[in-house]
Amino acid sequence: MTDRTNGGSPVTHPQHFHTVPSTVITEAERRDRYPKQSEFKELSAFFTSGLKRLEIATVLANNADVIVAAGANRIFTGGSPMAYLEKPEDPVGMPGSGYYVGEDFLSAKARQKGGPSNALQEPRLVEPVNAFLDRIRTLFSSGRPSTPTRFRTIDIRKYGTVRMKRSMRDLAWFLRYITYAVVAGDTSIIRINVRGLRGVIPEDVTLATVVALQDMQWRAGLCFSQDPAAAALVKGYFEVLITEYLVEKPNHQLRFGVSKLHPGLPLPQSYAQSALPTPKLVVKPGLSETETQDAIRAAYRQVFERDITHAYGLALEDLESKLRSGQFSMKEFIRHLGKSRLYRREFYEPFTISRVIELASRHFLGRGLSCLEEFQTYFEVISEGGLPALVDALVNSQEYADYFGEETVPYLRGLGLEAQECRNWGPQLDLFKYSASTRKLPQFITTFARAQKPLPNQHPYGVGHDPLEIQFGAIFPREDQNPVAQPAHFSATSRRILISSGLHNGHHVLGQNGTVPLGRVPGTFGQSVLKLEPSHQPQGHQAQGPNLNVNHHSIEAVILATYRQVFGRDVFDSQRQGIAETKLKGGQITLREFVRQLARSRPFRQMAWENLYITKSIEYIHRRLLGRPTLGRDELNRYYDLAGKQGFYAVVDAMVDGPEYTEVFGDDTVPYERYLTPRGYALRSPQGPVAWWKPRKNPDIAGAWMANYATVTEAKRLALATTEASHSMESTNNNSPAARAESRLNVAIASPPEPAPMPSEAPQAQPLETSTTEDSLP
Amino acid sequence: MSIVKQVILNADEELRYPTPGELKMIRTFCKSGGDRIQVVKHLEEKAPTIVEKGTRQFWKVCPRTPSNSGSRLKTQSAKRDMSWYIRLISYCLIAGNGQPLQDIGLTGMKELYANVGIPLTNILQYLKCLKAEAIKQLDEADAAEVIPYFDQIIQEIALPGPPYFMNDGPGESVPV
Repeated sequence: MTDRTNGGSPVTHPQHFHTVPSTVITEAERRDRYPKQSEFKELSAFFTSGLKRLEIATVLANNADVIVAAGANRIFTGGSPMAYLEKPEDPVGMPGSGYYVGEDFLSAKARQKGGPSNALQEPRLVEPVNAFLDRIRTLFSSGRPSTPTRFRTIDIRKYGTVRMKRSMRDLAWFLRYITYAVVAGDTSIIRINVRGLRGVIPEDVTLATVVALQDMQWRAGLCFSQDPAAAALVKGYFEVLITEYLVEKPNHQLRFGVSKLHPGLPLPQSYAQSALPTPKLVVKPGLSETETQDAIRAAYRQVFERDITHAYGLALEDLESKLRSGQFSMKEFIRHLGKSRLYRREFYEPFTISRVIELASRHFLGRGLSCLEEFQTYFEVISEGGLPALVDALVNSQEYADYFGEETVPYLRGLGLEAQECRNWGPQLDLFKYSASTRKLPQFITTFARAQKPLPNQHPYGVGHDPLEIQFGAIFPREDQNPVAQPAHFSATSRRILISSGLHNGHHVLGQNGTVPLGRVPGTFGQSVLKLEPSHQPQGHQAQGPNLNVNHHSIEAVILATYRQVFGRDVFDSQRQGIAETKLKGGQITLREFVRQLARSRPFRQMAWENLYITKSIEYIHRRLLGRPTLGRDELNRYYDLAGKQGFYAVVDAMVDGPEYTEVFGDDTVPYERYLTPRGYALRSPQGPVAWWKPRKNPDIAGAWMANYATVTEAKRLALATTEASHSMESTNNNSPAARAESRLNVAIASPPEPAPMPSEAPQAQPLETSTTEDSLP
Repeated sequence: MSIVKQVILNADEELRYPTPGELKMIRTFCKSGGDRIQVVKHLEEKAPTIVEKGTRQFWKVCPRTPSNSGSRLKTQSAKRDMSWYIRLISYCLIAGNGQPLQDIGLTGMKELYANVGIPLTNILQYLKCLKAEAIKQLDEADAAEVIPYFDQIIQEIALPGPPYFMNDGPGESVPV
């Protein structure tokens, strides 16, 4: 089953490998402390050895070809393997490569002027002669690894060009990653990237690869013949590489699903390894005091999200002592923390129940809620048994037992440690932040609920982003504060309101929407589908009478309408495509062909292709030729592919020749606008899209307003007239015309558009008034 | 997180070895490493004093604030948060750039204070007092290393987020 729920896509930066500084920082950060003395020592060692390691890396980079050639020549025979090694193209001068690295940037001109010493040193290609000399030179140096007896060399001609290229690429890749590892001062980058490669590179060359690697190791060692320490270091890295390469492809890590509807997820081991080294703390009998203390603090941090002992000076003494004495296991300790008064005060009382459940699942399971069903389960638990029941349910769950068991302190199972789910991606990232406990609103449940019933104006990138309206690939940060926090799935299949252009031609309905035309596009009049009809009757059906022109539209009108559709405006005379027009008039080409000619013309290319970036261009052309916006990434991706590989004309042809064009417009209909949303319409208005959601100041029914106006003026006129006439009258008299007029005035102002009472009801409604009324009004 | 990682990522993306310029950057990073560790040690030593004195200074400037309301819990939490910032700065010193501050600390901090109900101006004032105190407590060379990170925190909290489109101009590249 496909799960289409989406929890937003905040950017994350997963850890690819670690270096000494990053490890130290993470470790210290996880434990809320400054780096320890030992870690400072490690850091100093890293910094002091840095210069040395950089020298080694430089030497390796400069001798890259020699080293790779040594490995390749050992296992390949019958040709020059280095000829198959493809160099990456020189990045300078390639458009959009953004090639500048600190002070290293040199323009192409300056590079040429600066000569080889100034420029980036290109590894030279090893010619066969050089390789031969190199082999002679190194023939007598000792320590060349012997090959295992089962090893057979590979014949290049039999092996094939494609596989040769791949092999050479991989050998060069191994060396490059060794260099990176040397620069990073840590083998983790090798370990993470190489483990599991054995399953990717075919098994039958495993032995040959290892032989090649050993030879590369040996050859690289020769580069450092004067420096035994450096040679040993490089040798060490190669050892790691070879050992890791020999490891069988490790199994995927599995994460269990929470229900049948939501199955588990696999995570490749390499990802699991590249995660930060999470301290998994375990409390066992017989630990030292400091280790126990560490574990207890970690448990507090997990359950209370803060280091409570440090800030509040609080600690749950009796629980701690029971843990120390072995009366409680870690699991029991966590359970009792959850049931403590402090937990209730911090994480139960200030929150709504939904949020309590979300926070509790972070504290006790180390993850966010996974799906709506899970939420409902826990909601039932907490509404029946309260907080203690929820804590029990979480701690007793099979998942807790699987991950943490009796002894381990729970930890956050975030990105890298485990496969993360798409549907709670954004909320889960938020939940793991320091600020999670200050957020009062439930986040998972709202996201899930929204995903069940998507609102009509949302997009995975943020609310208010309608993928169907032309936004030219941009994501506008408007509409609200943090759009990615509240996403909902929205796609081309969602139902939406369309402004119809009122074109009935039988092809009007655009599949999934199934709407009937409601009206016309505002501001247009008299528009209808223009069709090209043959100007003369077919042979054999020659009409006998006078030659009447029964066409609906003159051919000139059709041509103009086509220009208007394709270009979006009437074109200048110089931009008209005379030849195509003549051909169309002469019946040599169909209207579809004519549209194609217009779209392929120079002015259109200039307008819609040359000055625009690719997304905008495709969206623009699509809207012009097919009369609707692109329906999303899937569709765009196809056109990207075409545009990238074959260019503008291929894109135009794909649209005009596509089945949709033929089905909707056929050979003789002028393309027209088929898919216009209110939002899209508003985008075209001179006030911009803002006008669309601005509240209208005018009352909605003009008649009501006018009626109100009439009542008020009449009453005012009355009041003026009567006050002048009976100025001396006592104002206490309620029945005086002035008083009555005034009261009517007030009523009129207070509640203007009341409908007049029906004549039959009037006596009951105002018996007093009617009984005392004389017709004394002037 | 550190410059080393950045260089490797860049090089890997373009399938090449690190360039001499990049290696030079790492070299300077390593050369200054020992000094930066010293700064971290000094900062760690002085952190409690900076927080303590900075807090008192802050109360003088801005007496009506939750941490000065007499609640011991609130005072303690305020001090904890501030020493947490200083600890983050020490991580930045190790990494050699402000990235840890962004990754661990600053994202979402404004929302946090808004939710808790602490006025941002008070936090700003507080941080400024801490910065002044840090200048006082540390010697000049150390302070020069530390202060930019204080400024980064203050900026992050004071200013609204980056505009949607940031045009940094043509930059320093040599026109071809």
